[in-house]
Amino acid sequence: MSESDTPTLAQAALASVRGASAEARLIAAEEVLEQLLARGFGECLGTGTETDPGQRVTAVLSGLPEIASLASLSGRTMYHDPALLSRTYARILDRKDVPAMLMAEVIRSNSRDYPRPVLVELFEAPPFDLAPAVIEAALKTMAAGEEYRDISFTTTSLGTVYLFSSLHLERSYAAFLAEQDEAFAMNP
Amino acid sequence: MVATRGGFAGKVLRVDLSTGKIGVQDMVERYEAVLGGAGLGYRVLWDEVPAGTGPFDPANKLVFATGALVGTSVPCNGRATVTTIFPTCWPRPLVGSGHMGGHFAAKLKYAGYDALIVEGKADKPVWIMIRDARVEIRDAGHLWGSGIRRTTLELSQEMGPDCVVAAIGQAGESQAPMGMVINSVSHSAGGVGGVMGAKNLKAVAVQGSGAVRIAGDKAEWEKLIKFHLSILGGNNQHVVPSFPTPQAEYYNPASRWVGQPGRRWGAAKPPVELAGDIYDLNRIAYRTNSAAFFLGEEAWKYTVRGNGCTACPIRCHTMLRVPSVAVKYGIPDMAQNTCIALQFGRMFFKQLIGRKGGEAAIEACMVGMHLADDMGVWSNYGQLQRDLRKLYEGGYLKTKLGSKEYASIPWDKYDNGDPAFLLDLIPRIANRQGELGDVLSRGTGAIFDTWSIPEDEWANDHTTTYWKMGHPKHHANEDDGQCGVIINTQYNRDAQCHSHTNFVRNGLPLAVQKKLATEIWGSPDALDAPGDYTPANIYKAKRARWSLVRKELHDALGVCNWMGPWVASPRWERGYAGDDSLESKFLSLATGRPIDREELDRAGERIFTLHRALTIRDMGQVDMRTKHDLVPPWVFEDSKGAAPFTKGTIRMDQADVARAMDLFYEVMGWDRATGAPGRARYAALGLADVGERLAAMGFTPEDGK
Repeated sequence: MSESDTPTLAQAALASVRGASAEARLIAAEEVLEQLLARGFGECLGTGTETDPGQRVTAVLSGLPEIASLASLSGRTMYHDPALLSRTYARILDRKDVPAMLMAEVIRSNSRDYPRPVLVELFEAPPFDLAPAVIEAALKTMAAGEEYRDISFTTTSLGTVYLFSSLHLERSYAAFLAEQDEAFAMNP
Repeated sequence: MVATRGGFAGKVLRVDLSTGKIGVQDMVERYEAVLGGAGLGYRVLWDEVPAGTGPFDPANKLVFATGALVGTSVPCNGRATVTTIFPTCWPRPLVGSGHMGGHFAAKLKYAGYDALIVEGKADKPVWIMIRDARVEIRDAGHLWGSGIRRTTLELSQEMGPDCVVAAIGQAGESQAPMGMVINSVSHSAGGVGGVMGAKNLKAVAVQGSGAVRIAGDKAEWEKLIKFHLSILGGNNQHVVPSFPTPQAEYYNPASRWVGQPGRRWGAAKPPVELAGDIYDLNRIAYRTNSAAFFLGEEAWKYTVRGNGCTACPIRCHTMLRVPSVAVKYGIPDMAQNTCIALQFGRMFFKQLIGRKGGEAAIEACMVGMHLADDMGVWSNYGQLQRDLRKLYEGGYLKTKLGSKEYASIPWDKYDNGDPAFLLDLIPRIANRQGELGDVLSRGTGAIFDTWSIPEDEWANDHTTTYWKMGHPKHHANEDDGQCGVIINTQYNRDAQCHSHTNFVRNGLPLAVQKKLATEIWGSPDALDAPGDYTPANIYKAKRARWSLVRKELHDALGVCNWMGPWVASPRWERGYAGDDSLESKFLSLATGRPIDREELDRAGERIFTLHRALTIRDMGQVDMRTKHDLVPPWVFEDSKGAAPFTKGTIRMDQADVARAMDLFYEVMGWDRATGAPGRARYAALGLADVGERLAAMGFTPEDGK
């Protein structure tokens, strides 16, 4: 493969990632490779030579400044274009099959960044779409797991449950923010 | 021949109801320095309405004023400001403004007028007909006693299509200080309906066939419009959606950008499914559903669409169709509104406030909207409802009202959260029927006066959210610490300022907000996380000043301060920055006269300072600091005893608020001891005549009595 092939290969790899991101989907290097091979980039990728096409694709993807990568729970590196599929959304997609971890990460990032506790009902809505029973099971998992000991809840005066991480929010502050969140509708 | 400039229509219409005289005067020559809106209103009151004039005196004037951006293609430009001696201001009436959206403002511009000044008092009920240059005072005898809807319908039939009617209902006719004027079905200006009623003015109906000229480069104008659209968020310029979405790095469940793909306007025929790119500039109206935000999930199925003001893509007046209310309460099954007015009905009931969801809450909203928007009853930003709750729950009414009247009120319905209670209560208020109806129709101050209840019983009670002078807080320390407190000290009614709260509630993470704050106000310390307040500093004072100045500017330009300012945006590639110079860029292009941000902000400060001058003059008092800029005791309390500056309390520290006021007066260039501008400050803002007159009266700090 020559240096002059690289821009074209990079553009094609970028298009593959963007195509997946536009469909709200993460993509692994293996799938990018498949798409590139299907589009006739085999020679550029050095198939049939000692060069590992997979490594070549990984190198190309790593060199694309527009592209973000995510260390997936599956152990693989997944790629996305943050302009089409944000980092936040990418993490939600990747953790969707492990509800306890997904919920804990969302609770922690909300407590840390905004800061705010989150309504438990958040996880029933898209894109989480977790069934109440699944949420309940995840809450039980979190209650029992050492790695989730920071995840806690507060109940407002109207009885609404909000979840927060004690790593980032003191209990009293989380309680205040939950009450405030609930009062927003009456404070227009 | 009037002076012409782009943006402005160029003329101010004057109608004297006492003499029947109708005339026009030049807008640009006379009022350009105060732009329009409340600025024009303040100037008219300063020049023409003597101190001591009562709100219902014929000498009081009503100034319906638009702005240079009204009727153009600038987003959110449908605002009209109605300035007058405000009747709910207690214990004495002072200058104030009501603000309404809808289409009245644009139509007035298209008819050729930047403002309408109504003077005097008609000797019988009348309405003002404006059809371009043809203006007439017409008999309204057949309309007197009618609700706003019937009045609007009849005048629309008389004038023909494409007219806009701003009318009062029974509350305004009965000179209730809590009366309001409404145009375009649901767009109200509170507190001024009774002033119209006192003038025997039932309505103003406008037809305009003209246009607003854009003097600057048209391509630049179009480019700026598209840019503005690109930095819009949802309702209140919440710039992140309330739900995670692939295109957004941030989301915030408290955001009013609730239009998630897959949601449906369930009562539209056929139902409309929200689909497509949420950032698509042709789908901005999908982002906001006020009913869903304020009332909860059930509201989606009752949603017909979003309605709104001239050139506003946000459409915050959600239109609802709730079939059950027609059968149960005998009212139309459709209604539309936003904010407090949407919740007018349910806020009376302790069982229905706060919680999202529930059919009774939605039905109460429908009944409340129907009655309030037809009879023209204002909520005083929800104070009416909080007053009724406190009066009843606190046992005041049982002791203050005569037993016969008390027994005549269906309290069982109130206790059961039955919306039918409103069918009895709201007409009492609109018609000033009985002692309860009369007292509530006159505003919170009337409660103190009539029943000898000390104001402190409201001001000490956080649940009333009462602030001062007969009015409640409007985004104060609960949202924005000292900045909110400062803003709430400044007006003679509730502050109505959203510049500050729209920023702190924009939905972005605190670190991003602080980055933007550094760029705009010079320091990340210009704001705190809510309930995690730090001591006052100069940057918070600067942000308070900026917030107030932008509020006045928006009112004067005719753009919506409920949607702006636009200093944050949804655009990650801009680092979520909006544009702090947007208003001056628009005005420059509209008028053809370049004006930069600093100069325009100076105009905003001029307007705000004129309000201060009017307040000083009419209070007969230069000491604003201790007599006007008051903070209620509840601000310095915490129900759990938490100390100020601990996380999780909005309790303020008295010494710190005093320092915040010091800093604010400093950035305003006002005297610290009195909180009043001096002659030099007035002069620097182009208000030398105002300063000299106040000085002659002993109402400047250096000449103080």
